[in-house]
Amino acid sequence: MCKKCMELISLPLANKLTSASKDSLSTHTSPSQSPNSVHGSRRASISSVSSVSSVLDEKDDDRIRCCTHCKDTLLKREQQIDEKEHTPDIVKLYEKLRLCMEKVDQKAPEYIRMAASLNAGETTYSLEHANDLRVEVQKVYELIDALSKKILTLDLKQDPPPHPNTLRLQRMIRYSATLFVQEKLLGLMSLPTKEQFEELKKKRKQEVERKKILERRAALESQRRLEERRSDLVSHATNGEVVSLRGGPAPLRKAEGWLPLSGGQGQVEDSDPLLQQIHNITSFIRQAKAAGRMDEVRTLQENLRQLQDEYDQQQTEKAIELSRRQAEEEDLQREQLQVLREREREREREQFQAASLHTRTRSLDFREIRPFQLEPGREPRNHLAHALDLGCSPAQSSVAPKTPSPSSALEPIRLWSGPPALGQEFFPQSTTSQHNEVPSLNPFDEEDLSSPAAEGTASPPAAEPPLSPPACVLKEYNPFEEEEEEEAVAGNPFTSPDSPAPSPFDEEDGHPPQRPSGPPVPGSPFEEAPCTNPFEVDSESGQEDEEPIEEELLLQQIDNIKAYIFDAKQCGRLDEVEVLTENLRELKHTLAKQKRGTD
Amino acid sequence: MNVVFAVKQYISKMIEDSGPGMKVLLMDKETTGIVSMVYTQSEILQKEVYLFERIDSQNREIMKHLKAICFLRPTKENVDYLIQELRRPKYSIYFIYFSNVISKSDVKSLAEADEQEVVAEVQEFYGDYIAVNPHLFSLNILGCCQGRNWDPVQLSRATQGLTALLLSLKKCPMIRYQLSSETAKRLAECVKQVITKEYELFEFRRTEVPPLLLILDRCDDAITPLLNQWTYQAMVHELLGINNNRIDLSRVPGISKDLREVVLSAENDEFYANNMYLNFAEIGSNIKNLMEDFQKKKPKEQQKLESIADMKAFVENYPQFKKMSGTVSKHVTVVGELSRLVSERNLLEVSEVEQELACQNDHSSALQNVKRLLQNPKVTEFDAARLVMLYALHYERHSSNSLPGLMMDLRNKGVSEKYRKLVPTVVEYGGKRIRGSDLFSPKDAVAITKQFLKGLKGVENVYTQHQPFLHETLDHLIKAKLKENLYPYLGPSTLRDRPQDIIVFIIGGATYEEALTVYNLNRTTPGVRIVLGGTTVHNTKSFLEEVLASGLHSRSKDSSQVTSRLASRR
Repeated sequence: MCKKCMELISLPLANKLTSASKDSLSTHTSPSQSPNSVHGSRRASISSVSSVSSVLDEKDDDRIRCCTHCKDTLLKREQQIDEKEHTPDIVKLYEKLRLCMEKVDQKAPEYIRMAASLNAGETTYSLEHANDLRVEVQKVYELIDALSKKILTLDLKQDPPPHPNTLRLQRMIRYSATLFVQEKLLGLMSLPTKEQFEELKKKRKQEVERKKILERRAALESQRRLEERRSDLVSHATNGEVVSLRGGPAPLRKAEGWLPLSGGQGQVEDSDPLLQQIHNITSFIRQAKAAGRMDEVRTLQENLRQLQDEYDQQQTEKAIELSRRQAEEEDLQREQLQVLREREREREREQFQAASLHTRTRSLDFREIRPFQLEPGREPRNHLAHALDLGCSPAQSSVAPKTPSPSSALEPIRLWSGPPALGQEFFPQSTTSQHNEVPSLNPFDEEDLSSPAAEGTASPPAAEPPLSPPACVLKEYNPFEEEEEEEAVAGNPFTSPDSPAPSPFDEEDGHPPQRPSGPPVPGSPFEEAPCTNPFEVDSESGQEDEEPIEEELLLQQIDNIKAYIFDAKQCGRLDEVEVLTENLRELKHTLAKQKRGTD
Repeated sequence: MNVVFAVKQYISKMIEDSGPGMKVLLMDKETTGIVSMVYTQSEILQKEVYLFERIDSQNREIMKHLKAICFLRPTKENVDYLIQELRRPKYSIYFIYFSNVISKSDVKSLAEADEQEVVAEVQEFYGDYIAVNPHLFSLNILGCCQGRNWDPVQLSRATQGLTALLLSLKKCPMIRYQLSSETAKRLAECVKQVITKEYELFEFRRTEVPPLLLILDRCDDAITPLLNQWTYQAMVHELLGINNNRIDLSRVPGISKDLREVVLSAENDEFYANNMYLNFAEIGSNIKNLMEDFQKKKPKEQQKLESIADMKAFVENYPQFKKMSGTVSKHVTVVGELSRLVSERNLLEVSEVEQELACQNDHSSALQNVKRLLQNPKVTEFDAARLVMLYALHYERHSSNSLPGLMMDLRNKGVSEKYRKLVPTVVEYGGKRIRGSDLFSPKDAVAITKQFLKGLKGVENVYTQHQPFLHETLDHLIKAKLKENLYPYLGPSTLRDRPQDIIVFIIGGATYEEALTVYNLNRTTPGVRIVLGGTTVHNTKSFLEEVLASGLHSRSKDSSQVTSRLASRR
């Protein structure tokens, strides 16, 4: 090597370059930490360097000679070491972000399991625990949001601004975090409030009670089948007692988990090994909770849930078996029944009118276990007869006496036509209803408010302008209409009204749906009967479902016919189109008539 | 035998192998298309791939905190780009995957360039084709032939694509080809060569019945790509054009900004998956149902306010709702545009005559109908030209052929010379002289009876009477009745049993109508699995471009070799 092509490396640099290997060596041997190994590592790194330098130049102790190629490589190596040691901010933030996401992936399924169970009225998990978990998960979401926002704005104000690719990377990370939150957070169902939970528990209790009844019956059934055939009335009375006495407490115990048992009657139930086990587990859970061993509680709760599922399953199977047998029996008895029923129908109907208040819960049961009511041996004949007469008509008064039944109240409904072109073809029922009542002021719970979607959706109705519908027609409130009403009013959100998109549905232009004319009112609000008590909603809608079914069928049929017309037109079968159109007109007429009728 | 799944698995494996951390996916032009067919952006984002870069882009920043996954075709340019990249690495570590077989020398030069030891892995992942549907793949080659011979570049691309397909499906097939086509034979030989050379790669577990590769030539059926279509996927491609699952709607009048380009992918769009093979009338009613379903799920602002239960229901359904709203707006727009085009271009009537030209043998009625439509001002020059092309192909040798009269009509209608010139070119491309089999008159007794009955009873749907010729070919193949003198085996061994796994490849491009045929065959023939591929997937427009690109329009300019070959055929 001549002086020209010689390069020098300072000792600190050499040290730095070799320190990496020294580090790795020392970490390898660190567990033993014997002086020997430390000495060995030294020899491996520094001694070799110093030996080279000593040979080359005794005086220049702090520099090492090397050629240009080696220097290049060594400098590259230095750069690599620098890069390895330097962690940019984005990476630090990103790592935190990923940790949060992992946490959510762990916790969210657990929470969903809990919430689902609680919302079903089960008491496997405690409400407070679930609430805590919810808050915890939500905090993580907030953290994810904050972290990704921070990544998004990282170095944004720097001069010069970061490379477009860096910005793109930051945007993409933020975007994927948003996707993550949207997908997971919005999938988190909310928890029932305390009161709601009580309600749910009650509901579930009823459910369980019903199952109990069935189970009881199954047992009694086998014993008394012959007896019953002979004498309906006697066996019925006995049965009624059984229901009220033994059916009552059992589900309570099951549903309430750790509540103390009410002695004697409970013992009878425990003859079922499953119930026994459930009982045991609940007491274990109690103990574990007291001891603060949450992981154990979780395992036990899972165990309990499985047991309960199994038990429910068993009960259901029993019930199915029972109903099958009853159906067979029913055939035998139908004749006899017929005679009795004919004779007493008149009288009993009157009776029922009077008795309906007393038998409120009963009548609910009737609806649910209707098949069994056909069996004369079980139920009082007046109930039976009534059940047969009414079919499965809803017992509105029975469940939600506080709620104003929407179908009973006449609500003003405004009708107008002229939704955007496309919407018109889709939705013949273009009506909008508006209630006079003001919706409850703040229907949201705190927990709901904390989710971003809830906030977003809460605001628009408040800013809703008052509407002045052009045409107004008194009409019965119909829960099935409102869907279409809304659609028609909102129009098709995706095709701006002026976009032509004449679509296959234009075909129906010839048969415009019957409705009063008027200017289009886009986005006009309409309000449903405000429900002051949110808990009633379920039971209420359940009942409503039943009455307008016919109308829904009609609407469905109208839709079908329209589809046929479209199809026929597409294939050029014009004669068919005519027939179908006629049919359509008839259907619409019927629908209109029916509506007027129910008004 | 699911090509979408095969490619998707490759991509998933790549991303998985690179471990956790921020990643960038480095691709070339073609692999970008390959990946985009099987993965959506949001799907891939969830796997921590945040950036997508082209290997040839010069504007890439050094980002040492990213891992690079390179998915590249093993071309010379790509290897050069990679060498440059590895000399001055921009990312911390490189996972390199080639979409096909790469030579040892290329790997060696890459290794030499990797001075900083940033390469963690080099592998071959044979996703070297565009997976369109589970049973349909394309190579996106437009204009694969010069005259009647392969463009050598495209021949090698087609060979690579086909062999990659075989490797990704783990098939080492027997090969049959269409005897009347020189290109089919060439491709068959090239594929065979690769199989022989890379025999180690093709060592798969032997199945009882070996898989079969059948190579066909578009020339044998020029009718199918000339027809208007009425099933959703085929219709969208015919009228709007599908390019790697993307549909350009920018020319739709009054289109909103975010619908200028939409993606129709059966993988991520349930409605499309359920309707892509249904006909237009059915889609009309289905889209109506979709709309209604959507309206039911749509949140009602007022209702939401009323109870927590509603609120809850909305929040729980929100992501689904959002997805659905995208789907609804997309399909309503697409179907609306199709519908507009159908009425604007009078396509019902046009299609009826097309089908008559393709499926029936009544010359005078056909001629009359074509003449009538040529007078109709609503019929576009494009549709007018295609009617005349169909007529020319079918009644090429008819005694009272009145093509010159129709050509006059075209001229009088004001159809541009470009289209008029295409008529004789198409005949040159797929006329009787070229075809190895008889496209129009049925051969066996069963088919004759069928056609007779058809004439007697009338057809169920006049717009969809046509069955692509491929149907008959595959039907015969499945029944082990495909004639060996027309479709010989390459090499001495032949298949004794009926084939089970079949890969059909059409040089010059397949069509969505044929894809539908294959789809139906797969559904109705138990034990048989067919995958269809083509140099591309055609609609009429791209098919005519393909014909034009083959350079057959002016026979005088053809190379002497081609003319002599044509002459010898005569």
